[in-house]
Amino acid sequence: MEGLFFNVNSGYVEGIVRGYRNSLLNGQNYSNLTQCETIDDVKLQLGPSYGDFLASLPPNPSTSALAGRMLDKLVSEFRYLVHQSTGSTAKFLEYLTYGYMIDNVALMITGTLHERNTSELLERCHPLGWFVTLPSLCGAETIEDLYNIVLIETPLAPYFKSSLKHTDLDELNIEIVRNTLYKNYLEDFYNFINTNPDFSGPTQEAMSEILQFEADRRSINITLNSFGTELSKQDRRKLYPEFGKLYPEGSFMLSRAEDVDAVALAVSAVSEYKAFFDAVGLSQGSGGFGGMGGDGKSLEDLFYQKEMEMSKMVFTRQFTPAVVYAWIKLKEQEIRNVTWIAECIAQNQKERIGNFISVL
Amino acid sequence: MSGAVGREAVFPTRQSLGLMKSKLKGAETGHSLLKRKSEALTKRFREITRRIDEAKQKMGRVMQIAAFSLAEVSYAVGGDIGYQIQESAKQARFRVRAKHENVSGVFLPQFESYTEEGVNDFGLTGLGKGGQQIQRCRETYARAVETLVELASLQTAFLILDEVIKVVNRRVNAIEHVIIPRTENTIKYINSELDELDREEFYRLKKVSGKKQRDTAAADAEILAARQAQAEKDAASGTTTDTTADEQTEAPDILGEQEDNDVIF
Repeated sequence: MEGLFFNVNSGYVEGIVRGYRNSLLNGQNYSNLTQCETIDDVKLQLGPSYGDFLASLPPNPSTSALAGRMLDKLVSEFRYLVHQSTGSTAKFLEYLTYGYMIDNVALMITGTLHERNTSELLERCHPLGWFVTLPSLCGAETIEDLYNIVLIETPLAPYFKSSLKHTDLDELNIEIVRNTLYKNYLEDFYNFINTNPDFSGPTQEAMSEILQFEADRRSINITLNSFGTELSKQDRRKLYPEFGKLYPEGSFMLSRAEDVDAVALAVSAVSEYKAFFDAVGLSQGSGGFGGMGGDGKSLEDLFYQKEMEMSKMVFTRQFTPAVVYAWIKLKEQEIRNVTWIAECIAQNQKERIGNFISVL
Repeated sequence: MSGAVGREAVFPTRQSLGLMKSKLKGAETGHSLLKRKSEALTKRFREITRRIDEAKQKMGRVMQIAAFSLAEVSYAVGGDIGYQIQESAKQARFRVRAKHENVSGVFLPQFESYTEEGVNDFGLTGLGKGGQQIQRCRETYARAVETLVELASLQTAFLILDEVIKVVNRRVNAIEHVIIPRTENTIKYINSELDELDREEFYRLKKVSGKKQRDTAAADAEILAARQAQAEKDAASGTTTDTTADEQTEAPDILGEQEDNDVIF
């Protein structure tokens, strides 16, 4: 039933995305890339997928320039999708950009806090997180102005309003602000997916799973990364999204955790995460500074791997804008992979070149 | 006699000879001391050169690892965190302290690095993802900077020692090839001048005595001639006792003079 009228409004967008998906690099492409000797070879190998966007690069470009161009392609394709979508699909795509907006806003707040010339920062902003009122953030002189006048106008205003006061921006570490916003965003997105009648069915199922995973991943990462910092347990708890497979018991245990063992115990209720911790070994925390584990996979690698698998599975469903989300994630991973390979080639560290996570 | 080195402008007296001799002795002592200092410094210098070589190779490796760990960070975080890190860093965690080390009277600065454990400005960066990679990257770069500091300390010591060794060697060479030969030349000159004076004096005295002898001989001959003439006169004219008495009273005076001359010789 839910698929009956989907194609009326969103069929085109979905079709386009499936087409985009087919242009992702496959295993063959990756094995060709790892054989390259120079960045120019990499550029050549990327030709079929990225053609025009790489053409203007100078010979032997830097890896960041290469990554920048690949991102440009992703952005231009995504913009096309945004222009083609209507109704709830458009709203869904808008939600996708909020995550990047949070990063951009956090960047601008950092600049304002340190009284830098924020207009320079606009170039550093993620293009997917661009919104019309972003440049006006540069106009704010003080944090109070920024909060009262400017942030209210941004799409992120509800996330600020519910949990942060303008004094928080002064005192709180910008990372905590960013993660608070992200938590609110994830909760809002989850809520949006589950309450919008247009998304009942495949979208709801697919996106709920992905967002739950994302929420759990953030909770686990925040816990692991906060060891040894001044982040208190109460503050940490506020950063955990209030849904996901770990919520509420797992999150509660995470908020009490003081070492990696406790984290492993907290997530042991969910078999997938338990498998990750077992695979990495409990020495993950102590080995955190000593380089990657024996087989070169860190916990974050495994999370990325899982994310990719879930994104791939989304393409088995039809009549859903969730494929756009999956496609963006796959594409981002692809950019990271190519950057990694290019970095390995540029720095002559061929032995680690296979450490990327194959997308397809 | 002066040669290429020359000699000092002194009067050739016995006093200045003594001065020169003590100066020569001082120069020789100084030369051996400086030579030993130069050897000690050169030994140190070689050691530092070896350690610089080691440190440079280590730096190459460490910097490579550090650059790679930065690549790992950008892979894990999936974006540029440079700006965030720059802005959140307020206090230096890695600090450098300068010390002095004394090597044979040369002060070599030494840099010592230490980390301020309490400072952890961007500990929360990458909280959502990539935090561990960022921390690891920071550790790697801290090690890289440590190597750089070590290298900087060695390089400074290298430059300073190089300069000092040059100065010391110049002094050693100057003493060995200029001051000592010149002093020796001066001593030789003074000695030869003194000898010359001695010889002159000897010759002069000899000449004087020769002259005196000749004068005496002439006087003797005159007296002898006078006596012979007297004797002939006596023989011819009999006796004139008065004159002989006069002659006899004169004779001892002349002998007295002759004796005086003998004393002078």
